[in-house]
Amino acid sequence: MTTDTLSKPAPVPITIKELNTENPRWCAGCGDFGIIMGLKRFIVDRQLIPSQTVNVSGIGCSGRAPNYFNTYGVHSIHGRPIPIALGVALARPDLNLFVHAGDGDAMSIGGNHLIHGINKNFKCVFLMYDNEMYALTKNQTSPTTRQNHPTNTQPQGSYLNPLNPITVALGLGASFVASTADWIPDHLTNTMKTAFDHPGFAFVHISQRCPHFDPNNFDHKNSNWFSFLKHPNGIEPDRRLADKTEVLEHDPSNLAQAFQYGAAERRYFGLFFQNKEKPRYDVILHNLVDKAVKKDPSKILDSFLV
Amino acid sequence: MSLEKRPVTRFELLMDAGTGAQKAGDILLGAFVAMGQYVYVEPMIPAEISPPARSRPALSGVIIRLADFDVTNIGNDTDLILAAHEIVLDRRLDDNEFNANAKILLDMGDQEANPDSYEMVLKRCTKLGLSVIPFNVDPESQTIVKELGGKGQNLHYLGMLSYIYNMDEEMVQKEIVKTFGKKLKEDIMAKNVTLYHNGYQLAKEKVFFRYEVQSHKRDGEQILIDGNTSMSMGIIDAGIKLYSGYPITPASSIMHTLAKNFPAYGGVVHQAEDEIAAIGTAIGSYYAGQPAVTATSGPGLSLKQEFIGFATAAEIPLIVIDVQRSGPSTGMPTKTEQSDVLAALCGSHGDYTKIIIGVANIIDCFYAPHLARYLTEKLRVPVFILSDFQTANSYKVLAKFPLVQMKNVDDIPDFVFDRFHMKRLTGPIEMVKTQQTTPGAEGGMRRITGLNTDENGKISYFSDNHQRSHAVRNEKIHHVRRALTTPEMFGKDSNEVLIVGWGSSRGAIEEAIYMCEKNGVPASGMNLRVVYPFPLMLKEIFAKYKKVMTVEVAYGDALKPSPLALLLRSETLKDIHPLIAEATGRPLRPRIIMKKIQEVLK
Repeated sequence: MTTDTLSKPAPVPITIKELNTENPRWCAGCGDFGIIMGLKRFIVDRQLIPSQTVNVSGIGCSGRAPNYFNTYGVHSIHGRPIPIALGVALARPDLNLFVHAGDGDAMSIGGNHLIHGINKNFKCVFLMYDNEMYALTKNQTSPTTRQNHPTNTQPQGSYLNPLNPITVALGLGASFVASTADWIPDHLTNTMKTAFDHPGFAFVHISQRCPHFDPNNFDHKNSNWFSFLKHPNGIEPDRRLADKTEVLEHDPSNLAQAFQYGAAERRYFGLFFQNKEKPRYDVILHNLVDKAVKKDPSKILDSFLV
Repeated sequence: MSLEKRPVTRFELLMDAGTGAQKAGDILLGAFVAMGQYVYVEPMIPAEISPPARSRPALSGVIIRLADFDVTNIGNDTDLILAAHEIVLDRRLDDNEFNANAKILLDMGDQEANPDSYEMVLKRCTKLGLSVIPFNVDPESQTIVKELGGKGQNLHYLGMLSYIYNMDEEMVQKEIVKTFGKKLKEDIMAKNVTLYHNGYQLAKEKVFFRYEVQSHKRDGEQILIDGNTSMSMGIIDAGIKLYSGYPITPASSIMHTLAKNFPAYGGVVHQAEDEIAAIGTAIGSYYAGQPAVTATSGPGLSLKQEFIGFATAAEIPLIVIDVQRSGPSTGMPTKTEQSDVLAALCGSHGDYTKIIIGVANIIDCFYAPHLARYLTEKLRVPVFILSDFQTANSYKVLAKFPLVQMKNVDDIPDFVFDRFHMKRLTGPIEMVKTQQTTPGAEGGMRRITGLNTDENGKISYFSDNHQRSHAVRNEKIHHVRRALTTPEMFGKDSNEVLIVGWGSSRGAIEEAIYMCEKNGVPASGMNLRVVYPFPLMLKEIFAKYKKVMTVEVAYGDALKPSPLALLLRSETLKDIHPLIAEATGRPLRPRIIMKKIQEVLK
């Protein structure tokens, strides 16, 4: 097995239309539309071959995403897309691998897999769809629900301070941590590009609107409440919004600064941190096989002879 | 000095954990094999690494059954026990696995410090009618053991046992050098050899009996292998490319063996963050076209259930090995049981059936991965291989068995099917989803999901569609049902009693029926290799016996049928009760099986 091959361009140009399957069964105005469109734009820009592309998801609104890409896809079980994706990465390192997870998948039921996916640093783009609630099960508190926000399970208002996915990922030693939002398409696609080119586990946090259950969460009509992080090695700010809000220079090799932006009250979109040198578990395992002195399979019982 | 010739005998060496009882067993085994005797070894292992010495949980030992015929199980009762001190002996007597006239060699070294405890245990032995031969390790050996930091006592005992079993002193010494040769410095090795000789000498002077079991010259290449190692090598030979697991007793040694060996044969070993991740990665790999397997034991099986259902609904091949231990919950991690069959079959929600292969011996362990891979790739349903602590850890010498070197599942040879009493699947096999392409296949793009789908793979909540999915999934199992041939039978085709078991009870059933026939007890036996589904002709076979009873290492009583009895009752409507349904953590014994049959026939 080879460890990593660059994907070849498709022989016939791929268009958005060819990547579509059925009409997504999401509510009108759902942020998920923006996210899958951003990924489709990237696939078209990069001309990734659909038959060599695999989307893996968990459960929830975001879990449906692979069904809406005419690529290969696994809509798996709640919280567990990372183990499935690792199996695909070990079996076929040549495939383009995207993992889709909601805030429940990533931060709650599948938290253990996120810890170890980040630590194993195997090659994939990990998209965390964060609408800060459980939506498909009808409005329950999630680990990222803002404090005091009422839901069906905590009607008096969410009790706890939410988990911060950016500092969680940074704290776990992620080799790539970026953040974007569903309603800034240019930035979203730019983020996919940088994430896809990252040699390892690319953690992408995406703020995602849920107009049905929490319409006031993200003020997508204004941009004064967030800033873009910019750097020659980072992600280009959104073309449409760059002159409407603050754009900060941030070196993605600066981990301490990344923690500061990540922990701040204000939201930052862009590349927080990147380390292209972090060892990759998938490469280590493949090297073990590639470099092992091969033995004769017709003699596998001979070492047990008496 | 009498030299008593015996066709079969069983003895035990009981020591504290970590003092080398099993190592001594390995050396004895090597020597017995070199002499041409048939041996079956069961290690007794505590669940803890190093429980306090001279405590009941510290019991660690080895049971060796020695015969002049090929032995298939650990047998009945022990004829001789060599115990390092009174506590381990007392603990082992609780299991009630000794002959009425068994002899006990008891090391009296600890008596001075523990006179009351010794007195109590010796009284117990007298009450049980057991003859105790007390001995003391000679002063020179005691000094050496001290010098070795408390190690080496096992070699002294080994010396005693090799005298009693009429072994050539020099030949055993060669085995010792073979076992420790590379690891021990010359002077340490010399001390160990002295301990061995002193033990041999001690038995010669103090013990007034010797046993001999007839030797046989065996043709062809012989291998010494245990169940889990055999399973590991079978995984390689079956062309599987990924092992994905999480440490759990008693399955872990499969991962250990593969971690050492798999890369040299092009395979990857992945130690996952938990049991759920382990099965998820196996599923991901198989989906992407690389055959994969996960192995676990009871608690891990419980954790994996949701993914097993996912593989079924999404139609991704999946092989799950469950090396059973005593349950429920953490249970007894180093004791054997056959109590996971219902958890494997019915453990996950939504009512779907799976295929369960039971391994009856070490050779089955080798070929079960081949059959599992064939079935799961043909049918795209999960296939379980159920082993158990007993099968996983017992070892014996076997004629080297033929390899398959399977690349494609269609290459699977007939003898593998014969071994598991089934035929090759025939005819078209319908899938829930017509298209079953693998990522990378051009133009084959498709999405799989745990949601119900129609034949085009589209998510569907329509009533007809869901009913169809169930029917298609079950028809896959029916394909296997129809391919199953008459299970392995022992004894006459019709009889008063038929005893039925599955997996590792095979050896005990075979031997029990042999004993029954010799003693004129009208009983026959059956062993199921594919535990689910059952073959179609089962009802007809059962009709030829007045009574059908199960023997299981799992609990059952008058109101609660044991797992196999429950399944057989429901599928054959025959009034089947267990003859033996014991969750004692100890393997079945042929003599007890015969005794119980005799009681039933009274």
